[in-house]
Amino acid sequence: MAIDLPIPALRRVRRLDAIWAETPGIVGFFTTVNHKRIGRRYFVTAFAFFVAGGVEALLMRTQLASAENHVLGPKAFDQAFTMHGVTMIFLFVTPMLSGAFGNYLVPLQIGSRDMAFPRMNALSYWTYLASGLFIYSGFFLGDGPSAGWFNYVPLSAKTYSPDLGIDFYNLGLIFLAVSSTVGATNFIVTIFKLRAPGMSLNRMPLFCWAILATSFSLVFALPALTAANVMLELDRKLGFQFFERSRGGDSLLWQHLFWIFGHPDVYIIFIPAIGIVSSIIPTFARRPMVAHNWLAISTVLTAFIGFGVWVHHMFATGLPQITMVFYAAASLVIVVPSGIQVFGWCATLVKGRPELKTPLLFTLGFIVTFVVGGLSGVMFAAIPFDQQVTDTYFVVAHFHYVLFGGAVFPIFAGIHYWYPKVTGRMYGERLGQASFWLFFAGFNLTFFPMHVMGLLGMPRRVYTYPAGMGWDAYNLIATIGAFLLAGSILLVVANLFGSAFVGRVAGPDPWGGETLEWATTSPPPEFNFPVVPTVRSVSPVWDRPDREEDEHRLQRGELVLDAGHETPATTVLDGELDEVLEMPGESWSPLLLALSLSLVFTMLLTSHYIVAAIAVGLGGLALASWHLKEPQDA
Amino acid sequence: MTAELTPSMEATTPRAAARAATLRRARPNGWWGMALLIATEATLFGVLIASFFYLRFKNPHWPPAGTPKPKLLVPLVLAGVLVSTSVPMQIAASAARRGRLGLTRLALGASLFVGAGYLAMQIDRYAVSLRTLKPQESAYASIVYVLSGGHHAHVAVALLLNAFLLMRLSRGMTNYRLIAVQSVALYWHFVNVLALVVTATLLSAAA
Repeated sequence: MAIDLPIPALRRVRRLDAIWAETPGIVGFFTTVNHKRIGRRYFVTAFAFFVAGGVEALLMRTQLASAENHVLGPKAFDQAFTMHGVTMIFLFVTPMLSGAFGNYLVPLQIGSRDMAFPRMNALSYWTYLASGLFIYSGFFLGDGPSAGWFNYVPLSAKTYSPDLGIDFYNLGLIFLAVSSTVGATNFIVTIFKLRAPGMSLNRMPLFCWAILATSFSLVFALPALTAANVMLELDRKLGFQFFERSRGGDSLLWQHLFWIFGHPDVYIIFIPAIGIVSSIIPTFARRPMVAHNWLAISTVLTAFIGFGVWVHHMFATGLPQITMVFYAAASLVIVVPSGIQVFGWCATLVKGRPELKTPLLFTLGFIVTFVVGGLSGVMFAAIPFDQQVTDTYFVVAHFHYVLFGGAVFPIFAGIHYWYPKVTGRMYGERLGQASFWLFFAGFNLTFFPMHVMGLLGMPRRVYTYPAGMGWDAYNLIATIGAFLLAGSILLVVANLFGSAFVGRVAGPDPWGGETLEWATTSPPPEFNFPVVPTVRSVSPVWDRPDREEDEHRLQRGELVLDAGHETPATTVLDGELDEVLEMPGESWSPLLLALSLSLVFTMLLTSHYIVAAIAVGLGGLALASWHLKEPQDA
Repeated sequence: MTAELTPSMEATTPRAAARAATLRRARPNGWWGMALLIATEATLFGVLIASFFYLRFKNPHWPPAGTPKPKLLVPLVLAGVLVSTSVPMQIAASAARRGRLGLTRLALGASLFVGAGYLAMQIDRYAVSLRTLKPQESAYASIVYVLSGGHHAHVAVALLLNAFLLMRLSRGMTNYRLIAVQSVALYWHFVNVLALVVTATLLSAAA
């Protein structure tokens, strides 16, 4: 913290420093429950998975660069595209957006000192890491899942996929669901209960609205995926008959369950990304968001309608006409809240004085690509068109415009935007802008030709194709684009890595942002805010008198909460001060529980059911040790 | 102003904990956490029950030919017994809120006792029925065992939570434990509602 504070204030800050300090070294590494440290960890891990998924993509693009190529065989290619999808969807985007950005930013933006359940936060990270490694261990053992990221039955049934690959997928995703559910619960309670005094729900930053909506979607969507994986694993391991036609099972059941999860998951991926966009636009347009409340409402509506459109992934499976028409209509309706958001962003930019810095460039890149992806998405709501292009590269083009455009562009915007907050230094602006243009060009070069390839009839998931189908040139362009894209990401990494050492010191608020993370130092202290901030609008940092009052409070010792690991709890709707909570400190229990769960899933994979049961008991002991330490014992 | 807001930290007696609970205007974090766990678990069972009916409508005979229809009387009586434990559980929660530790423990113990008896009978019935109907026989058998097994597992978890709570309460009441009593009571009610829904679903095959 700043050293030019008056003496009583300085003494209070020192006291907070001492209270919130963590055990240094290896012990602190394993026992930490600090939300910023866990957020940074999520970032590093998710980025590592992003690189792995990217390498798989480059391998596929190299194989497809020309007709009848021999870089990857069919089995390796199948594993590569399956792992690419699983990695990007499950191990990169969601953990990056909710895990890294959410963990780091939500407590800062709502003016809290930690998440509502700090130890559950650690558990969420450790189980994410363990389940990611679990899924990848199959791939590295040469037994990776190979039935596509949506793992359709009967291809994924024991008869057609006898090796362990699908078991890694099923069990790994059940394991990962633990992490996501725990994390989502934590975000909801944090946002409901730990907002700064005065931050009623309608004054909450749009990024927090996005995390809230996504977390609710996760709570209600993940069980469908878990149920499907449990059923398939029981079929595979113990000979149950859920998906076996001859015994009364039904393979379409898998598709329904998967997409009941899968389509909301598209919004689970996309909504936090638009939360990032909604944080960046007001800052760089230098005015509050136009129609703030409408944007908050449409965020929630998008998440809600997202549960009613899953059958549009199944238009080619022979369902009754009336069913399909209903889902086609729902798929059209969801355009409305998305449209409100796009208009809100554009209006804010038009009415403001936009500064074209790197974060805003990536944001504009997002709007362009997302609108293109959205337009090709609306086309699928037309059932005949959908049936024509199902399982062609047109679909691949569409969902990369929506997912890469809709999530990865905002992630890179967010990385540049909050880099000074996390590291305390500025990234290189000129290199940042150059890397954006390369990124944008590489992206469009890779994925735009895929629309044409799809319309020309090239199917998805083929490991090679004959020459003379009219696909060669487009494939070559896409491959060149993929390598350009990879190059631009390397540039970004170089910029961020180098700037950590040589970047200009950023200060607390380099952008003049409106939300509370800019009201504290960069990087923030362990306790985030020396005085619990009070809030009276959606732009608390732009309310100068309130922030000056914080300094007076620090002098007087009001709302400093330095009797322990303290943070205030407020009422759910109005954000009125209700209680001061004592937050738990470091603990071994989350790691022990995650290790027990790893043992459970490894033993289930290898069919050692007795050992698995014992490991469940160990997990129970870890949970008991967790609850033996109560706040007043600290 | 913060002094009057922090009774929860020092609340290490039944009365102090009850006072903290009365002063608090919003529901405690622990209650919210439990409510969300229940929401996601209810969805899980919703999906399993939807799968049950999906498979039913895909099959001409339900249960399939050669599989006996479920019997009605015993499952209904058992479900009724389990649901009755919600009464002592609610007594425990409200006694804790009024600072009456003895009554809290007594009521928790009563519901634990009845619940344990219920689970023991159900495990026995499960084992017996496994001798005649194997889950590998048909999709019907598969979903029946997953639904009923899932339900029994939830009863077992509720019993373990209750037992752990009793163990902790033997060393007195604190604010933390009071919130735990309320949250566990909420979970217990959920498990009982689940018992009714799962039983009704399984017995629908008798029609």
